[in-house]
Amino acid sequence: MNVAVPLLQVDAIEVAYHRVMTAVQGVSLQVGAGQLVALMGTNGAGKTTVLRAISGFLGLDDARVTAGSIRFMGESIENLAPHRVTALGIALVPERDKVFDNLTVAENLEAAATPRRADRAALLEMVHAQFPRLAQLAKREAGYLSGGERQMLAIGSALMCAPKLLLVDELSQGLAPLIVQELIHKLLALRDQLGLTILLVEQNARVALDAADHGYVIENGRIVLDGDAAKLGEHQDIREFYLGQGGAERKNYRDVKQYKRSRRWYG
Amino acid sequence: MQLVVNIAVLASIYALISCGYVLIYRVSRVLSLAHGELMMLGAYGLVTTASLFAAQPGVAVAAAGLLAAATGALVYWVLMRRMTGEAVLAAVLATIALGILLRGAMVLIWSAQVQHPARMLGFDNPVVALPGGARLSTISLLLVGMNALVYLALWWFLTRTRYGIAMRAAGQNPRLAAQRGINLHAVYALAWGIAVFTGGLTGILIACDAGLDATMATIGLKAFPAALVGGLDSLVGALCGAVIVATAEVLLIHYVDPLLSDVVPFLVLTAMLIVRPWGLFGSREELDRV
Amino acid sequence: MPHASGYFRTTYGQDTRLVDTRTQRVAAGAFICALIALPWLANPFVLDLANQTLLAVVGAVALMLLTGFAGQISLGHAGLMAAGAFCTGILSKELGASIWLTLPASAATGALLGVIFGLPSLRLRGLYLAVSTLALHFIVIYLGHEYETRRGFSTGIVIDPPRVFGWELVDGRAWYVVFLIAAGGTVLIALNWLRSRTGRAWRALHGREAVAEALGIHVPLYKLLAFVASSTLTAMLGCLFAYYRGFVSGEAFSLFLSIQYVAMVIIGGMGSIAGAVMGAVFVTLFPYGIEWLVGLVSEALPEMRGLQNAVFAINYAAFGLVMILFLVFEPQGLAGIWRRVQAYFLMWPFKQKPLSGGGK
Ligand SMILES: Nc1ncnc2c1ncn2[C@@H]1O[C@H](COP(=O)(O)OP(=O)(O)OP(=O)(O)O)[C@@H](O)[C@H]1O
Ligand SMILES: [Mg+2]
Repeated sequence: MNVAVPLLQVDAIEVAYHRVMTAVQGVSLQVGAGQLVALMGTNGAGKTTVLRAISGFLGLDDARVTAGSIRFMGESIENLAPHRVTALGIALVPERDKVFDNLTVAENLEAAATPRRADRAALLEMVHAQFPRLAQLAKREAGYLSGGERQMLAIGSALMCAPKLLLVDELSQGLAPLIVQELIHKLLALRDQLGLTILLVEQNARVALDAADHGYVIENGRIVLDGDAAKLGEHQDIREFYLGQGGAERKNYRDVKQYKRSRRWYG
Repeated sequence: MQLVVNIAVLASIYALISCGYVLIYRVSRVLSLAHGELMMLGAYGLVTTASLFAAQPGVAVAAAGLLAAATGALVYWVLMRRMTGEAVLAAVLATIALGILLRGAMVLIWSAQVQHPARMLGFDNPVVALPGGARLSTISLLLVGMNALVYLALWWFLTRTRYGIAMRAAGQNPRLAAQRGINLHAVYALAWGIAVFTGGLTGILIACDAGLDATMATIGLKAFPAALVGGLDSLVGALCGAVIVATAEVLLIHYVDPLLSDVVPFLVLTAMLIVRPWGLFGSREELDRV
Repeated sequence: MPHASGYFRTTYGQDTRLVDTRTQRVAAGAFICALIALPWLANPFVLDLANQTLLAVVGAVALMLLTGFAGQISLGHAGLMAAGAFCTGILSKELGASIWLTLPASAATGALLGVIFGLPSLRLRGLYLAVSTLALHFIVIYLGHEYETRRGFSTGIVIDPPRVFGWELVDGRAWYVVFLIAAGGTVLIALNWLRSRTGRAWRALHGREAVAEALGIHVPLYKLLAFVASSTLTAMLGCLFAYYRGFVSGEAFSLFLSIQYVAMVIIGGMGSIAGAVMGAVFVTLFPYGIEWLVGLVSEALPEMRGLQNAVFAINYAAFGLVMILFLVFEPQGLAGIWRRVQAYFLMWPFKQKPLSGGGK
């Protein structure tokens, strides 16, 4: 893959909530055009925060990127309003509240603003072709959708914004493994057919690393590991702590401390 | 029969005003307590345009309507935009302050005397006799028609057009709406524009019917219970609320005491708040949000 | 509030002290002396202003307890004042009651209304509450009007000056003493309430009700208490107001009066008793300031004579504008400005205060 000119370049950003709480610190990552990059980490590590920093905060979030820079296609986008970021070609599938519950499926797709350069009718046709289920459910209120249908609608309505870069937060949350597999394949297909670039946040490292080209691991608001997805899958700490494939013998307490120490090295 | 007609006219007035409250609230979660004053401003706009285009009443009214819509957008852009992200309380207080400011400014500009824009336009508002013996003025008839028109137009706009759907989306989940590329400020400004436009139109019609002075703001305030009785986030509710409040008001004035006029809406409201605080059509969750 | 140049408190006693530095003690003493000396130095006009201001202080502090501390918005302040005033008027007209009866009766009326209209607040929040207090205003005014017309006092109820310990309260100075005691008492009561369990509970439920509940605070009880405390004080204020004016009429208690009280709380600064006092002074003197300015302008520019007739409207407009400016640019109000000025001088030549956690 072509990593020489990254589509998205996040450089040592720091995000503070309510002006006092620093949630992530010195996070840098790169996403090359056409790549699928996975961002992994435990609960509260700061994955959502990174994605939201890229896609922009609202006044009511009371959050800011306080240091570092985010560049998308050469343009500086940190602390830009979300709708401007979307207009540039970045669409987010958020973790929670990903569809407008009281609007029907069709209205959900209709509500998304499409940049002038794109053709709405063609986009809608494409979304319906990718997710035929959405066409069947057009009249249904989004609040009544199942988890999988909801995720499809969320991805579909994000696609209505004609993005170049798709940010997906917690693809697998609350979904059956089979559906997750299906959605991952869908994302890969979308990438290949539409020339999309994808930054995927995942708790499930197995799923993420199988699909991704490149992976980042974030802990306590810092990137602690990164590398080629295949290589990352081989990494001792990842195998042990994210894939649950430790050695046969049980680890004792000192080794855990050892891990903590080694983790600090990466931070 | 006359009572029924009176109820219909009053209900139309309340409904026309309260759709502004509902629209602004539903989209931006702000309660505009300056709505009565903004409505009055719309009517005074007609006084000005009437003196400019005395010969062409149509042009004068259209210009006044446009002026009202622009005022609404301006109010959002200059004042209320700074209040987003602040506590709900601060936003409401800002609209109260705006109301006071407008009241003073309007007296300064147009004086406190009663104005009759209809006469300025050479319209004499003939009385219409309805079958059944009821009578009402042409403008009252126009009010009822306008009410139906406005509600139909709003319904069409909110459910059938892209911007209307985007507006509903923004009202429901502003964060996701922004992430879907919707410019929230534009949507809010549009909502304010429409709300003040419908309010201004109502003000214009009332002013043509009954003359225009500072008491008009009270009508705006009395329409507010109608919006609340129906449930603040529902247009259908606003319509029903308007009918209920108007019915209660007309009947009580007729059979009990004319002095009750100013209190009835608030009595209905108090009863409602005790029995069903989220309103007829509002959702229960709404209570926790405000 | 930054009274001292640092945080020097070492015991709980010091923590709850009202005045904690020598400078402050001196300043407070001087302030009280000035207040006592005022009636002997002022002319009747200034004395009337001072009296109005002191009355406003009572109302502003009462509203501050409810809005600024317990976080419940109320637009029914004028209605509650009217309730106290009408109660006074009716009792003295019908029964010839003395102030010793009317004042407690007003307080009881206020408390009752506080319970009635505080009850919805247990189910309502924020905006809905503001609306139910608005309803209270209109209903009280209507009932008052109804009484006036039924009994034929269509222009208002005239009340005789009250007798207190054999003195007839007619003179501005006598009233000044009464109001000074009332205002001082209200401020002290409020300050003490706020340092007690009740005050802490109010602040907690202002922050977040669910958390307050989890902390073991009986939320409905304390909410209701805030309402009752505030409305009792306000109704007593209405009683005094009625006696001072010698006259009760619904017109005196317009919605604008409620808004003025809300403005006192905003302009003074939410969550500060000192702010309530400053707000009361500011809002009471504001129209006189405007009148004075307009006088100056029309003297300097004869072609602007017309302004003189529009003073009322100018006052409205300017008042709205000032409220907006405070809301947008100084949400902490006068109290916030005062704090910053104090901090600036205390810290000079440094910019930041150690251990204050104030940030920028
Ligand atoms: N709105 C907020 N205000 C204050 N702190 C926040 C806010 N949102 C997140 N945080 C804090 O920022 C840190 C990172 O949170 P974030 O949501 O980014 O984690 P995450 O990696 O997405 O976790 P999860 O896997 O559970 O979704 C957490 O410590 C969280 O408490
Ligand atoms: Mg997350």
